[in-house]
Amino acid sequence: MEYFIQQLINGLTLGGMYALIALGYTMVYGVIQLINFAHGEFFAAGGYVGAIALGYFSGLGYMETHPILCLTGAFVLAMGYCAYLAIGVEKVAYKPLRKNSRLAALLSALGMSIFLSNGMMLTRGVYDAVYPSELFQGGFDFGMITISYLQITIVSLTAALLIGLNILVFKTKVGMAMRATAQDKTMSALVAIGSNRIISLTFAIGAGLAAAAGIMYGLYYGSVKYDMGFVPGIKAFAAAVLGGIGNITGAMIGGLIIGMVEIFGAGYLSGEYKDVFAFIILIGVLYFKPTGIMGENIDDTRV
Amino acid sequence: MKKRVVSILVMGLILVPFLCGGVFAKTLRIGSMSPLTGRYASDGTDIKNGVLTAIAVFEEAGGIPGFDKIELFAQDTACDPRQAVASANKLINLEVAGVVGAYCSSSTIPASDVLAEEDIIMITPASTNEKVTDRGLPYMFRMCGRDDDQAPAAAKFIKESLEAKTMFIVDDKTTYSQGLADSVAKSAESMGIKILAHEHVNQGDKDFSAILTMAKKANADVFYMSLQGFSPAAMMMLQAKRLGMKSQIVTQDAVFQPKFMEVAKDAAEGVCLTYGFTDPSTPEYKAFEERYVPKYGKIAAYATYAYDAATSLLKSIKAAGTTDPAKVKAELMKLDFQGVAKHVKFAANGDSGSSYIAFKVVDGKFVPYWEPVNGLIK
Repeated sequence: MEYFIQQLINGLTLGGMYALIALGYTMVYGVIQLINFAHGEFFAAGGYVGAIALGYFSGLGYMETHPILCLTGAFVLAMGYCAYLAIGVEKVAYKPLRKNSRLAALLSALGMSIFLSNGMMLTRGVYDAVYPSELFQGGFDFGMITISYLQITIVSLTAALLIGLNILVFKTKVGMAMRATAQDKTMSALVAIGSNRIISLTFAIGAGLAAAAGIMYGLYYGSVKYDMGFVPGIKAFAAAVLGGIGNITGAMIGGLIIGMVEIFGAGYLSGEYKDVFAFIILIGVLYFKPTGIMGENIDDTRV
Repeated sequence: MKKRVVSILVMGLILVPFLCGGVFAKTLRIGSMSPLTGRYASDGTDIKNGVLTAIAVFEEAGGIPGFDKIELFAQDTACDPRQAVASANKLINLEVAGVVGAYCSSSTIPASDVLAEEDIIMITPASTNEKVTDRGLPYMFRMCGRDDDQAPAAAKFIKESLEAKTMFIVDDKTTYSQGLADSVAKSAESMGIKILAHEHVNQGDKDFSAILTMAKKANADVFYMSLQGFSPAAMMMLQAKRLGMKSQIVTQDAVFQPKFMEVAKDAAEGVCLTYGFTDPSTPEYKAFEERYVPKYGKIAAYATYAYDAATSLLKSIKAAGTTDPAKVKAELMKLDFQGVAKHVKFAANGDSGSSYIAFKVVDGKFVPYWEPVNGLIK
């Protein structure tokens, strides 16, 4: 039983991380039907900015005196930088192709992904960028079961961001504009919604979420690396599809399921087949329910 | 008609640099193969830097008679067998005199088959799998140690020094890590240690919480971690510490990288690993350190082996006075000098001997801890 609970906690943490990345995928897809394969690279870039910022703060000695302030600063910097980067990427690589076939944009996204990850390798080097010290060190220890403060932070922050995002999309004017743009770009433009601005905003928010996930990933695993975006990116994409791509809550649930299946697959069956189990679940769900678990909202509730 | 003349002229101009190259300068071409991108790019870059240092040392000492300069063609294998074969073919086309590489055993083996067809000398600084030299290729040499020397040394250490009775093994299924883990399991079992489980993770995994929870439950005396590269190893250590695992952690040569402690921090303390012994107090090592550190940073696992491999190759070419592989090989076999990493003397099969001892991480440093003959090092 203790073993099960420990694995459940491990699964929740990993799933929470996937869910945060999947939220960005799903938002961008919801608005312009583009699978942004460069999303995993925003996640890595966010992790790098976090490492640089925290390293700088710790060099100044603020890390010991004001840890929360430093962390907030790192989050703001990383999310801001990635939002800016995403807007740039959108302008350069996706916007000119918006009128072409979807395949062109998809290829452009793949190219952007390779470009960004190699760019990071060339500028930041091939070694791991280390997070200065393990923040939130320690945790609760119940004999067999250990819950670290970091795990609690990841899960609660993911939940908070989901709630915030839901409020943004369903309760605000900007959210309404997003939903309108998702439904019909031309018509929404006719009623004076700046659809280009809305698309940029969606990219910015999605990349910001990915950057937040990148910092948490760095804190949790101790370091970040230029190629770290690829695998979690693919997993998060799978999570978004599993939950029903375009659906925010679906991305969340999909992320948690992929994380859980991986951990339980590794914990009870075999570590080498965990990815296989995760993708079997994905294929199974798509076979029986092609729209994903929560279903793709074709009506006005889609972001 | 005019168009055709112009195009022929242009084609001719394109060829000029290729034709001139051979006429005006005689360059000694050396190849290196290591992963410069991908997961093991850091170790691969260390290898390239080691070879570059060796070349710089040689050029400063007057180079090799008959050649204006020595040029390195560093190929990226990405630790991928297919890319390694492609790199080997590229080096053949470049007509290199010898190759230092590759890093992953799974790349070295197929690449050496290709190079062997053209009788090109290959010296690996990092591939420890037995098959590398056991296939009997005439021009295959190895600077580092062998897995079937490392595994018994590790098992002996676990048995004698740590007095372990049970062991939990994890590897990541690469030719290197799984081969080594299997050999360690076999040696340990023959010494009476019980293997509680032998689990696998995937290359590129960052989250090991499931496997570590399993290991914590098994509560073995020793947790043997066989992973390719220091980066996943450091992550595994951090997560093991967070989970509160109590088993003694033992690992292997791929983790011997100063960056390991930088990433794993406190979690690295007390970790033991087996690695070929290099004496950092020799004048050769000190000279290497003075030259390498300001340019490339901390000396890592394979930079010294790569330096010794490249030095051996260049020394032999210089002594032979030609790049003819048979003559260079004859000179290689005659070599007997103190290198940076070890004393260089090749055996008939191309191996240069192993010197595995156990290191322990103390205060963020790898400290020699135990050696197979005399036990604990004081």
